[in-house]
Amino acid sequence: MMHTLVDWLDERLDLSSIKHFVAEKGVPIHTAEVWYYLGGMTMFLFGVQVFTGILLLLYYRPSSTEAYESVQFIVTQVKFGWLIRNIHSWSANLLIALAFAHFFSVFFLKSYRKPRGLTWLTGIFLLFLMLGFGFSGYLLPWNELSFFATKVGTGIAGAVPIIGPFTMRVLRGGDDVTGATLSRFYGLHVAILPAITTALVAAHLLLVQQQGMSVPISIEKEEKAGRKLPQMKFFPNYILRDVLAWYVVLAVVAALAAFYPWELGHKADPFAVVPPGIRPEWYFLAMFHTLKLVPSHVLGFEGEHLGVVAFGLVALFLVLVPFLDRRASRGERSPVFTVLAALGLVYLVVFTIIGHYAK
Amino acid sequence: MLQIIRRVLMILSAMALCASSHASAQPAPAANTCLACHSTLTDAKLTTPAKLFSGPDVHRERGFACVDCHGGDPAAGDKARAHDAARGFTGAPAGQVQIATCARCHSDATLMRRFAPKQRVDQAAEYATSVHGKQLAAGHTNVATCASCHGPHGIRLVSDAKSPVFPTNVAATCATCHADQRHMAEYSLPDGKPLPTNQFADYQKSVHYSALTKGNDLSAPTCNDCHGNHGAAPPGVGAVANVCGTCHAIFAAKFQTSVHAQIFDKGCVECHGNHAVLKPSDDMLGSTGHAVCATCHSGADDKGAVAADGMRRGLEELKLGIGKSGELISRVGNAGIDVSNQELALTEARSRLTLARTEMHAANLPAVNAILAEGTTILTGVDRAGQDGVAELRFRRRGLAISLGAILLLVVALGLKVRQLDRRSHP
Repeated sequence: MMHTLVDWLDERLDLSSIKHFVAEKGVPIHTAEVWYYLGGMTMFLFGVQVFTGILLLLYYRPSSTEAYESVQFIVTQVKFGWLIRNIHSWSANLLIALAFAHFFSVFFLKSYRKPRGLTWLTGIFLLFLMLGFGFSGYLLPWNELSFFATKVGTGIAGAVPIIGPFTMRVLRGGDDVTGATLSRFYGLHVAILPAITTALVAAHLLLVQQQGMSVPISIEKEEKAGRKLPQMKFFPNYILRDVLAWYVVLAVVAALAAFYPWELGHKADPFAVVPPGIRPEWYFLAMFHTLKLVPSHVLGFEGEHLGVVAFGLVALFLVLVPFLDRRASRGERSPVFTVLAALGLVYLVVFTIIGHYAK
Repeated sequence: MLQIIRRVLMILSAMALCASSHASAQPAPAANTCLACHSTLTDAKLTTPAKLFSGPDVHRERGFACVDCHGGDPAAGDKARAHDAARGFTGAPAGQVQIATCARCHSDATLMRRFAPKQRVDQAAEYATSVHGKQLAAGHTNVATCASCHGPHGIRLVSDAKSPVFPTNVAATCATCHADQRHMAEYSLPDGKPLPTNQFADYQKSVHYSALTKGNDLSAPTCNDCHGNHGAAPPGVGAVANVCGTCHAIFAAKFQTSVHAQIFDKGCVECHGNHAVLKPSDDMLGSTGHAVCATCHSGADDKGAVAADGMRRGLEELKLGIGKSGELISRVGNAGIDVSNQELALTEARSRLTLARTEMHAANLPAVNAILAEGTTILTGVDRAGQDGVAELRFRRRGLAISLGAILLLVVALGLKVRQLDRRSHP
């Protein structure tokens, strides 16, 4: 049956180049090979997000008067609506965690080095997009926590020098977080971000397939010295391993959705007093807590402005890493960037934990 | 020399007043040399009135001047003519003269209609009926008169938060005299006992004070809400329930139907106290421990004790039930089961608890039990729905456990397949 279908397509599309690619493609086998699977797992969760997101769209209504009620309807009245919403929420969080893990694995293994600069660029922008998905999606249930967290979050965007106030107004659709903000975030979450993400994922995958898997610098040196690196066939050996990892992720998401249902909270009331303990999602906690610790004025500048500019510079540094790390590009060890990656990881973990417990 | 400078300043001020009145389109006010002169004096007792009257003062803002209360000639350039008794100068009015001075306008309905049409005009008449007024009539000049509470100058509207008679300031204003042992030493209660001075301290412990100052509830009672303001006097025996009933109407009505209404001399005060009215709790009910009923009722033969204990037991059972059902519903709700109807029912059960507490003031055990039974019936329905929710959750988890099992089987199968492929690739 499968063969018949392939032959039918081959007659019409000439699949010989693809057949050749699949038959010949190999994946290097070495001690750090396990990190290869993180990208695939992240992509699988993106697929889960698209699938569950489309199902949620069937009932979700993006207005300040109906959003909360529609999510409430989904989780209480729609058959298996609770499961879809729980999976969407948990999968989103797991996706960002895996995206960060993928990012750090690539950083530590220096897989961004020449000729994979473009792959890194598409990847880092995908990471930013995932954070954008998280930020825009958080507001959509229109509950108390998400409403006030969005107020704080868009307020931070407003602290960017020069373009900040304009950006904040564009994000909010006015001076404050209102139904207009919800409409914008909805559009961003279900149309603009998915369109850009799909294009970038395609480019990222294409580059990965074209350039093959990167190997750590030390192994590359051995390879250059004449050692033959063992390979496994991409199809079916590697693909089956990838699918196995996806199933493990699916099992984790299903277990979390079943045993830790995602709370809906109370409907947002713009006139209510800000409830205590307002904080963003965990992946923004480190940044949020850092901004809280920055003094109100540093060397005559507003502390918050400086903090936001500093984060902007860090983002720019991350984008430019492949072009800054010349040693790695030459195939040499670059301990400075390893230390920077380690410091970044420690900072994120420590400040996220402190931010979680801070009052 | 000083005298000359003062006169020159006075004349210049008068000229400035005239000049400004010409420049204005408003009718020219009479020149007021009182302020000009008094603001240059060195004695604080004489300058303070001018300073206060020049600041925020409801009378000055409505066009009144010193002459309207003190008389004299405000246009006169020298003190003798300005303070001439023949020109109506009265000095600082005190005692009955002060009452009469204020009443000249404030008891004139026609005049007051021009400035504050909704304001009452019987303050002076009320004052005459007050303890303050009666003591003044009896010759005690140390008692409170209008200026004691409202201030003599710099008088603000009652609605002004800085006014000494603004709701949040009333108690402190009364306390300036009533918490002063030396001031109150010359007065005594009708039975001859010394007049207490701890009312303010007691009031500060009360739920009323807390609501007023911490809860920002300006309708919460302060001194004048129970004692009256211009006609201030302690509520007489038998009138206490009426006083409390102005706000706590239902409690008062229930109390009037109770056997206690015939027995309690001081009405509500018997159980709740007067100035130190604490937040009531169910602990006040019953015949043991710190319960207020225990003051009179104890023992199994005492019908009152049996009723009090019965009511307390019922209240505690319903409270406990509401707590347990609330926890169940919250757990089920957080897990994504619709519990909006049960939350509504819980609100109903809480209403029954409140109603039972209200009914308790009639000291009627069967009536209280009937309300509590309604609450218990509501809770039974809530619990049933809660258990259904728990069953649904169990079903969901079982379903997911089966799914997880299937996924894990697939993972194992894939793992075996991968191993088989690897063996074939690298025999």
